[in-house]
Amino acid sequence: MDFTFTEEQTMSAQALGELLGDVCTGADLRALADGTLAGGAGRWQRLAAIGLPGALGPESAGGMGLTEADFVLLAEETGRAALPEPLVAHAGVAVPMLAELAAAGVSGGVPEALERAVSGAACVVVAHPLEDYIAGVDTAELALAGAGVGQVALCRRDELRLLPQASLDPLQPLVRITLPAGRESLLPGAPQVAEGLWRRARMRTMVFAAAQMLGLAARMVGIAVSYAGERRQFGRPIGANQAIKHHLATVQVKLEFARPVVYAAAAMLADAFQAGGPAAALPPLVEARVLQAKLAAADAADLAARTAIQVHGAIGYSWELDLQFYAKRAWALAALNGNRNQMQRRIQELLFGGGIETGPDRLFTN
Amino acid sequence: MKLGFTLAEEAFRHECAAWLEEQLSGPFRAIRGVTGLVACVEQRLEWERALGRARWSVIGWPARYGGRDASLAEQVIFAEEYARAGAPGRMGHLGVELAGPTILQFGTDAQRERFLPKIAAGEEFWCQGYSEPNAGSDLASVRTRARLEHGPDGDEWVIDGQKTWTSLAQFAQWIFVVCRSEEGSRGPAGLSYLLVPMQQKGVTIRPIRQITGEEEFNEIFFDGARTRAGYCVGRPGDGWKVAMGTLAFERGVSTLAQQMRFRNEFDQLVAAARANGTARDPLIRQRIAEAWIGLRIMRYSALRMLSGGREGALPPEALTYKIYWASWRRRLGELAMDVLGPAGEIARAEPYEFDDLPRMFLASRSDTIYAGTNEIQRNIIAERALGLPREPRGDR
Repeated sequence: MDFTFTEEQTMSAQALGELLGDVCTGADLRALADGTLAGGAGRWQRLAAIGLPGALGPESAGGMGLTEADFVLLAEETGRAALPEPLVAHAGVAVPMLAELAAAGVSGGVPEALERAVSGAACVVVAHPLEDYIAGVDTAELALAGAGVGQVALCRRDELRLLPQASLDPLQPLVRITLPAGRESLLPGAPQVAEGLWRRARMRTMVFAAAQMLGLAARMVGIAVSYAGERRQFGRPIGANQAIKHHLATVQVKLEFARPVVYAAAAMLADAFQAGGPAAALPPLVEARVLQAKLAAADAADLAARTAIQVHGAIGYSWELDLQFYAKRAWALAALNGNRNQMQRRIQELLFGGGIETGPDRLFTN
Repeated sequence: MKLGFTLAEEAFRHECAAWLEEQLSGPFRAIRGVTGLVACVEQRLEWERALGRARWSVIGWPARYGGRDASLAEQVIFAEEYARAGAPGRMGHLGVELAGPTILQFGTDAQRERFLPKIAAGEEFWCQGYSEPNAGSDLASVRTRARLEHGPDGDEWVIDGQKTWTSLAQFAQWIFVVCRSEEGSRGPAGLSYLLVPMQQKGVTIRPIRQITGEEEFNEIFFDGARTRAGYCVGRPGDGWKVAMGTLAFERGVSTLAQQMRFRNEFDQLVAAARANGTARDPLIRQRIAEAWIGLRIMRYSALRMLSGGREGALPPEALTYKIYWASWRRRLGELAMDVLGPAGEIARAEPYEFDDLPRMFLASRSDTIYAGTNEIQRNIIAERALGLPREPRGDR
């Protein structure tokens, strides 16, 4: 067992962190939210230039051939920066799904879409049939969607009926989409494969949402810590008060205990996906780990958001502080693909008759 | 102890309810149920004047200033009926609940005659000049200065400085300002509590947007702003005592009206949970039941607190009230978002306007911050109620 990342993995995360530190600052987010800057100042092109859109794409299609375990730290960095563009949905979920479709021999524009997605020429998002809303459609050219989990369709954005609305996260508005009527599935005779593909997409969405929430939590703790060190009341920095220190220390505990859960879930997911194709069943323990990762990271990010606002006092709930962008992203991600209750309920199902064996001899076997 | 209401009190309830129903199904039906802080302002200002004309604006005040000398029980009843009727949030609440009671208790007769009837009539609106960029939790470190200037037309206070997080300043004619009137003084000593007109050259307002997207609070800049020498409440230099008195009012009878608003929010949340099926989720049900229990606890506590207190001086248990309601409502906001799911994240209108429950979730983040943060409240409880040693302080 080895819980460390390779030097390559940490180095690429660091490089992404540095890039986003340049092109995705609080001021950039504010400009976008206030509508004074369109197109994200070429951020997507910068990300494409270092190959990130194709991170999980097969090398045969020009991708980097990375796994979920490699991508988890990159997703964390995009969270830390509250990146407005849907890089995680694209590179972490849509590209591997396109690759799986291509591997299953599906044509219908898939190989071309994969190639363009890997290079970053086209942004693709995944609209899971069981989700009412999806984020990031505004910058996407294509979407993988389906009328139900038994079918998969690749649609151009202009074919979808979109209901764009302002939403809680001002930088990644949620959109409700409707599929064009009578759209054929790309996998007409294989609904089980389609189901498997959607299941895998969902698992990736969740584990990478968890990773983003780790980054967001760390960012918010950082913002609050630096404010608590500068802001003076009663003749000393407010961070000198135990009431403030303890709040932030409590978040830090939650965050550090969420981290290994998320990393382990990504590693297990990578192993499980490599062991079997989309039609293969997902081991219940792997699914439970992913749910647990989302739950733990969401708890940490939510607590970080609430605490950071509280530590700032009144300015913490003003629009003028960048903190709100990170807090609102964290809340939006936490609610996506099921909230805490839904995670817990599914874990219960998996534990009680859902295939997870319990008992002292089974506890740590995986 | 007597928990019910008398026949006379029930008759009073009918009177309130009938008037509210008549108004809110008639001339004011457009603002029934409006909860946005800065929504439908013109109509809500008119509503304040209607309350004043019918003497429902400040029923606990003496009749000579526009009140009804109403008993505590009657004030409770009115607050209940007001909320039950879905009457809109009070645009005048800073005058009605803070400035007015402060002037009533600490002001001179001349100040009472000048200010109270206009508050009661909904003709003059107020805002609160407490916080400054560097004086938040540490309110006693205010730096806004006031000096008395002698002039041919009488003496005047001249005020320079900055206040912030000032709610509803854009609609106010008056502001009560805590300022440093004794040069070189520090902390609570040497402060004065001045009543200052807003519409003058020396006062500038800049709105501040909140995470809800609303612009309810503001920064206020005083640059040689003036007010009459006689508009100092309490003696010059005694402002801290008056300022603390105002805070006690904020935690007094007005909390009852606030609970009724909470009750409406709770009902909305339950309706949403029934509508989308989350009311069947055992985890949600449990949290809803906890919220309901909290609401009852607040109700009983407020009634006990208000019955035990003398005029303007709340009993020690009142120290625990702010942290309780603020934490309760913040949890209610979180519960609302869990009930609504992603649908709760969708704005009702561009650019960033939300339905009541999501807006309540965002707004409730401020409850544990304004009027004394939870951290300050815990210090107050520990130091004043329990008598623990004071938190060490640095040099101001």
